[in-house]
Amino acid sequence: MSYTLAEQSWLSKFIFRAAPASDSAAWSDGLFMMIFWFSTFFFVLLMVLMVYWTVKYRRRPGVPAPVSPHHNTPLEIIWTVVPSSALLVIFILGFQGYLSKTVAPTGALELRVSAWKWGWAITYPNGAQSPETKFLEESADGTVVGNKYPIFYVPENTAVSLRMSSQDVIHAFWIPDFRTKMDVYPNRFTGYTFHTPTLGLEEEVFDETVGQNIPGRDMWVFCAEYCGDEHSRMAATIRVVPQFIYEQKLAEWNAPKDPVELGKQIHEGRCAICHSVNGTPGTGPTWKDLYGSQGLMSDGSTVLKDDNYIRESIYIPAAKIVAGYAGNMPSFQGQLDETQLDGIIAYMKTLSQHAPQPAGSDTGAEPATESTESQPNETTGGGQS
Amino acid sequence: MSTIDATHTGPHGHHEGSYLDGPAGFWSRIAQWAVTVDHKKIGVMYLFAVLFMFFLGGVAALAVRLELLDPVRDVVQPDGTSVTTGYILQSIFGATDGVSGNEIYNRAFTLHGAIMVFMFIVPSIPASLGNFFLPIMLGAKDVAFPRLNLLSWYIYVFGSIFGVLSILMGGVDTGWTFYTPYSLTTDADHWRVVLMVLAAFILGFSSILTGMNFIVTVHKLRAPGMGWFDMPLFIWAIYATSIIQVLATPVIGITLLLLIFERIFRIGIFDPAMGGDPVLYQHFFWFYSHPVVYVMILPAMGIISELLAVHCRKHIFGYRAIAFSSLGIAAVSFLVWGHHMFTAMGELAAMLFSALTFLVAIPTAIKVFNWIATLYKGSIALNTPMLYTLAFLFLFSIGGLTGLPLGALATDLHLHDSYFVVAHFHYVMMGGTVIAFVGGIHHWWPKMFGRMYNEKVGMLGCVIVFIGFNVTFFTQFILGTQGMPRRYANYVDEFQLLHQISTVGSWLLLVGFLVHLFNFIHSLLAGPKAPPNPWGGLTLEWETESPPIEHNFHHEPIVKHGPYDFDTVVPPHCDPKDFPLPDKA
Amino acid sequence: MQTTLDAYDTPAPDHIRSHPKHWRNRKAGHHWRTHDEEFDGSKLGMWLFLTTEVLLFAGIFCGYAVFRLLYPEAWANGSHYLDWRFGAANTVVLLISSWTVANAVRCAQLNNQKWLKINLIITLICAALFVFIKLKFEYIPKLADGKAPGTFFNYPMAQDPHEPLWWSLYYVGTGIHALHVLIGATLLGWVLYRSWRYQAYGPTEYTMVENSALYWHLVDLVWIFLFPLLYLIH
Ligand code: HEA
Ligand code: HEA
Ligand code: HEC
Ligand code: CUA
Ligand SMILES: [Cu+2]
Repeated sequence: MSYTLAEQSWLSKFIFRAAPASDSAAWSDGLFMMIFWFSTFFFVLLMVLMVYWTVKYRRRPGVPAPVSPHHNTPLEIIWTVVPSSALLVIFILGFQGYLSKTVAPTGALELRVSAWKWGWAITYPNGAQSPETKFLEESADGTVVGNKYPIFYVPENTAVSLRMSSQDVIHAFWIPDFRTKMDVYPNRFTGYTFHTPTLGLEEEVFDETVGQNIPGRDMWVFCAEYCGDEHSRMAATIRVVPQFIYEQKLAEWNAPKDPVELGKQIHEGRCAICHSVNGTPGTGPTWKDLYGSQGLMSDGSTVLKDDNYIRESIYIPAAKIVAGYAGNMPSFQGQLDETQLDGIIAYMKTLSQHAPQPAGSDTGAEPATESTESQPNETTGGGQS
Repeated sequence: MSTIDATHTGPHGHHEGSYLDGPAGFWSRIAQWAVTVDHKKIGVMYLFAVLFMFFLGGVAALAVRLELLDPVRDVVQPDGTSVTTGYILQSIFGATDGVSGNEIYNRAFTLHGAIMVFMFIVPSIPASLGNFFLPIMLGAKDVAFPRLNLLSWYIYVFGSIFGVLSILMGGVDTGWTFYTPYSLTTDADHWRVVLMVLAAFILGFSSILTGMNFIVTVHKLRAPGMGWFDMPLFIWAIYATSIIQVLATPVIGITLLLLIFERIFRIGIFDPAMGGDPVLYQHFFWFYSHPVVYVMILPAMGIISELLAVHCRKHIFGYRAIAFSSLGIAAVSFLVWGHHMFTAMGELAAMLFSALTFLVAIPTAIKVFNWIATLYKGSIALNTPMLYTLAFLFLFSIGGLTGLPLGALATDLHLHDSYFVVAHFHYVMMGGTVIAFVGGIHHWWPKMFGRMYNEKVGMLGCVIVFIGFNVTFFTQFILGTQGMPRRYANYVDEFQLLHQISTVGSWLLLVGFLVHLFNFIHSLLAGPKAPPNPWGGLTLEWETESPPIEHNFHHEPIVKHGPYDFDTVVPPHCDPKDFPLPDKA
Repeated sequence: MQTTLDAYDTPAPDHIRSHPKHWRNRKAGHHWRTHDEEFDGSKLGMWLFLTTEVLLFAGIFCGYAVFRLLYPEAWANGSHYLDWRFGAANTVVLLISSWTVANAVRCAQLNNQKWLKINLIITLICAALFVFIKLKFEYIPKLADGKAPGTFFNYPMAQDPHEPLWWSLYYVGTGIHALHVLIGATLLGWVLYRSWRYQAYGPTEYTMVENSALYWHLVDLVWIFLFPLLYLIH
């Protein structure tokens, strides 16, 4: 079942940009091209006749249109039956391809995908979650703009099956390279399957955590069901890597980590889409100087933003709504465990002047150093178009 | 279907003036139009209203395209500083505090979609050209229920006011499909979503009433001598459309009503948080909204059948095949709604809906083949209506054929909710319906307003629109297959070039439509007077004067020949020298 | 199809007899060829409209069926809360009214002006009775118990978390039906008013009576479906 990158024809490159990444993706591209040529045949035939006859039989003053039949039953039957049978074939092939994308083979690696406004997380069989992130948008001059998006690692040449659910509205998990997507619902599980490709010898990606290239291939993940303001930025990266790297990563992610580091990673992967750390207001309030401050709630009360309040804000966001914001933060109950929560709080402390700073105070990441990364792109991308 | 001396007495025999005549004085004229039950006046009012809505929707479309010039949200102003397109949109739509550029974008495409679908394209052809010409082509004095017709016009106005009100209050960001649960939670503390849904609900009634009216008119008010198969194909198309309108619209009615209750009372039927079922909503929605795409296209197909026959001076090829395929499309259209939800349903349902989807493509293919065959051995005049007809055949074929990979399951999993879908439906709705509509307006313009338009300017406009359209939307097919999701305010850099080309195309479209607009205004003010039958048509509207008299005909017409017997009948009011008959019939 | 029996003709006072709205003086609309065709046309239009109404309720019935499959428990509990006797009483009320309204049409055709009015009045009384039973014995006590739709649901003894949904469908279904009862009653009231005032309906002019009656039958029909689904099937 191993599938390697095939040579892509110029037409396929023009149409699909990226080569299909699996057998069933290649298969559905094949079906697409078949429909394409079928359609092109009829289209060209009809258009050639149309243009030819329009020119040939253009009106000449005083010359009547010659008499010709008003209908022709055998002809009607032919041009009903012939396309119909072709369509039947297309339908059957389409259904076959659909099954290969939706019915997972036994023993497939099952990944739990969860979605919320506006982000993705994948929980691996050993309970680990990927903390790694990367930029999707890079402007021509190399400066990075926009958000960081999570990277999900999958091993090469493996059948993967996704089990997906959402915490709020409908999303859809689309990996264009695998040519498939499925809606993600709040009240049920949906899923699909794909077989990851075998990496070519020269395929490499840059791994930020080790600072060098590793064998791998990156693919986009997009949210394809409209879900609100940041729908267009609900993206992620699927990274296909050799089995040993995959295992290494999983072990690494499960190992205990420095809380501040952990908190920072969670923020980048899940919270940054709404919360900045440099004071810029977003969909949610900034985390700069949040911890330990006094804040006004929409019901008029004032609260001290301590550990308990933050815990509540993350698990039961609707309990207290910050004045001036809509209560549309999703709950992360069941998503983030106690360790992760501690990490977030530890990280928040480093961002706040109200928090007691640790003696050495070198862990305190200066908010200023973050600013290039997390600044909303309005302020940076001036050079574009 | 000529008449015995429909206008024998000539314009001066009876002292009945054109329907456009009215009392002197601006206000008394307004008053006369406001309470008129004349189907022609109502049709004209609809025509201007839907064109205005088209314009509004077009402005929103231009805003959408403007935003997409750039992958993130920056554009450079003339003075070198950079602001976001979000802010430009904000200044167009009125700034609202705390609204991000993305949200403005989301509102822009929602308004675009909602206006275009509910306020423009669904009423467009049936309510304007249909209202005006259906009774005349049947040889009737009016539609069956003239007062109901006026009522449905006012319901339309009323519904549109709600829609516009919602826009003025800041707009809606649900997408035109109002999918739950998003549409239940967004802007929870505002009335504008409810207003917009209410607008769609009310507009549905207008649509139902118009449909009922037309069905009864076709059944009961055909002129003596006109059997079912002597009806022009435009009538067949409107008839099939009306059936869909009557049968599908109530379902969207109850759906939208439930949605309104849901938002106001939180009853939970579509809300997963309360055990409700969002997929049920989708089923309900598409049970209407798929058939409604044929409400959009069938009248356009009817127009094409008329235009082709008249401007080729040729009996339409396969009259019955075209007539029956209209009914066939109407029937099958109720069975395929699930193809919008392939990513939300089980295998069995998906298989069934996919198979039925291919079934619905067949009657359409039959129509296209028959139209092309009609060109054979015609006497083809290349004027604006004919150019539009050819453009329709070109664009609609592309639009329809790209429905095939969407209907095939394996490929739809990739293409669903991508720009491929966006391109598909613009090719059918804009390239199909709008193109046919504009062609139809040109064809019947002399009849409706008694003035000729300038043919050269019309053709120029058509060419610009055709080029602009393809530049705008062909690129979007490629964007879609390459992986660009729809309803995206930001996108990855790789897609920028194609998006920029598309945006430039939208400007060309604007230019093209402005050319037409100019042409029409010029024609109204200074166009030469139109003869009763400028194209040599054989259907009944060409028997009467241009513009028609108050009661359409001086005498009730009696139909003696078919609508397309160009090889045996000299068209009324025409000189046989200009419209010679072939030697042997 | 129109009877010309004037057997029961009660001579109307002159000022009514010569009134343009009196049934004998009624003319077909200018665009109709004959009065008969106009009548047929109106009836066809009415039937089309009734089809749309049926489809409207079909949506609610679909929702009912789907949730019944999803949450059979909640549905069983829900219908247990309803007292079938009130439902049955209302069924009887509506059936009677359907019968009287059919009689009213017959009377118009026979020019029996007196019984036309009496039948209409009985029908209207039935309509009022229906609404009264609905409000007094069903809606008001139920709402007071907290058996309200969706989020307003506040009935502590509920046994299934999805019962609020049942009540949503119950109120939407019966509520929209009750709205139709009111619309139908308004139409019949209008007919009553016009026959009182002008004797507007008679053997050659009873379109409005017939169409309003058709509408009333529809209201009845919908209830005939609602009643077993909501009250009887546990
Ligand atoms: C005027 C409106 C219109 C029309 C006529 C059509 C016509 C068709 N549509 Fe389209 N469609 C839309 C409007 C329309 N559509 C809209 C608005 C949406 C998106 C809504 C949204 O999500 O917002 C949509 C979405 C849509 C989808 C869902 C895609 C997705 O979201 O995943 C699908 C899937 O099956 C589909 C299929 C088809 C098919 C098979 C036809 C067929 O009827 C086409 C038949 C025509 C032809 C086949 C071409 C002409 C024939 C020939 C040239 C002869 C040769 C042909 C053969 C031999 C076959 N359409
Ligand atoms: C009838 C239907 C219709 C029509 C005609 C159009 C016309 C256009 N649409 Fe479309 N569009 C939709 C229906 C339509 N649209 C729908 C339903 C959606 C989905 C919404 C959703 O996702 O919820 C959509 C979505 C949509 C998108 C995708 C947005 C997204 O997913 O993020 C885009 C992007 O390019 C777009 C662009 C355009 C453009 C450039 C035009 C241009 O063709 C417009 C050109 C028109 C003008 C420039 C106006 C000029 C008019 C006059 C000057 C008046 C005078 C006229 C005469 C005299 C004839 N539209
Ligand atoms: C959909 C956008 C969104 C995402 C994603 C999001 N939040 Fe929020 N958050 C908000 C909004 C809006 C508020 C303010 C309203 C409220 O209090 O609920 C908020 C408030 C908060 C507060 C209280 C802030 C204050 O000033 O009192 C905390 C703490 C918080 N979020 C933590 C998180 C954490 C941790 C994550 C990620 C794991 C996260 N949020 C992800 C939108 C979001
Ligand atoms: Cu999530 Cu769109
Ligand atoms: Cu469809």
